[in-house]
Amino acid sequence: MEIGHWHWDQAIIDALLAALPAAGFAMIFNVPRQALKFCALGGALTYSFRAFLMQGFDVSIGLATFVAATLMGILGVFWSRRHWMPRPVYTVPAIIPMIPGTYAYETMITLVSMSEHGASDELVARFLTNGVHTLSILFAITFGLAIPSLHYFRRRHPVI
Amino acid sequence: MSTAVVMSDQSRMTEVLAEVAIMLLEYGAESRLIEQIPVRIGSALGCDRVDMALIPSAVTLSTRIAGQSATTTRRTRAQSLNMGVVHDILQLCIHLERHPAHIDDIEQQLRTIKPRYYPQWVLVPVIGLACAAFSHLHGADWPGFMIAFLAAAVGMWVRTALAKRRYPALISFAITAFVSTSIASLALLPQLSRTPNLVISASVLLLVPGFPFVNAFLDAFKGYLSMGWGRWLEACLLTLMTSLGIILASRLLNIHVW
Repeated sequence: MEIGHWHWDQAIIDALLAALPAAGFAMIFNVPRQALKFCALGGALTYSFRAFLMQGFDVSIGLATFVAATLMGILGVFWSRRHWMPRPVYTVPAIIPMIPGTYAYETMITLVSMSEHGASDELVARFLTNGVHTLSILFAITFGLAIPSLHYFRRRHPVI
Repeated sequence: MSTAVVMSDQSRMTEVLAEVAIMLLEYGAESRLIEQIPVRIGSALGCDRVDMALIPSAVTLSTRIAGQSATTTRRTRAQSLNMGVVHDILQLCIHLERHPAHIDDIEQQLRTIKPRYYPQWVLVPVIGLACAAFSHLHGADWPGFMIAFLAAAVGMWVRTALAKRRYPALISFAITAFVSTSIASLALLPQLSRTPNLVISASVLLLVPGFPFVNAFLDAFKGYLSMGWGRWLEACLLTLMTSLGIILASRLLNIHVW
């Protein structure tokens, strides 16, 4: 099955590969052992759903990330209620494959280069592009994750 | 006499709640949780209210029972992230809400909560595989996959070895980035990998401070602005130190990848 640039065989390999960092980082965060398989599953689901939106329907990376993270946030509510876990145990490792790590490093490295070689047009452009990419993807991830708790917050404390 | 006993029970309760809050802060819970759990335990134990002031390096907590108020302040000790401890504390909180216990039992139960860590021999290969998976997801070829695995696994070994010797995270991140980048630059040797750039950039992804970045935003969204700024600064400093390690390795080996 193919939708746009999305192919099912590539999608399965990518999902399996995305489960590895999710489970690996879950181990760095020392999550309880019984939660590891949910972290891996969550990582595979969010990463492949984002890839599906981006490749199949040409959705921009920010919007696709936001939708995938929202899905993970909602899934986290169900999982955490069933297993009495704090939600970040599932949600944060699951979004690790989408974290814009390379953009973040590139931002800092161009910043250091600017202090060494002066702010040339090319360096400023790279710094801004990578910095804005990092911020917007991070914002999309975290706002998606926060949506369920903002919903509960609203119910408990009315704004007026 | 009886008032003295009540007072001491209240101050013990305040101490326990402050200990809970400081453990949550040290082991990386988000601010909403740090505030909610002591409040829930406090009301389960019969406090009229529990109020807390939170900054990245300390917690101040007050309990009020029958018009009497007791306050204590705790300073954080440096600890690494541990979701297992956060989970144990949440379990304790839910348990106390259903079966309120005496303060002696709670002190006892809190003392049994200890961080558990994954052993180094598991972490090293798993994180190697994780970064190798990143390199492949970004489009690297299979020889590149192997090099990314090697670089990240050695990097993780260095990182855990430095953490065991209690080096500050800022220093161990820079050293790890230097080691990982140096090893990953093997991909630049002729005939090895057609995608050296992707391999070198993926090999340092084990150092991305994902939890502080995410917690920074989550705290800010939920109204804990000063905590959000603190975590944001922490994450940015860790990223900067990692970048300095990468730059040092690139200059010494004279490679121009980033």
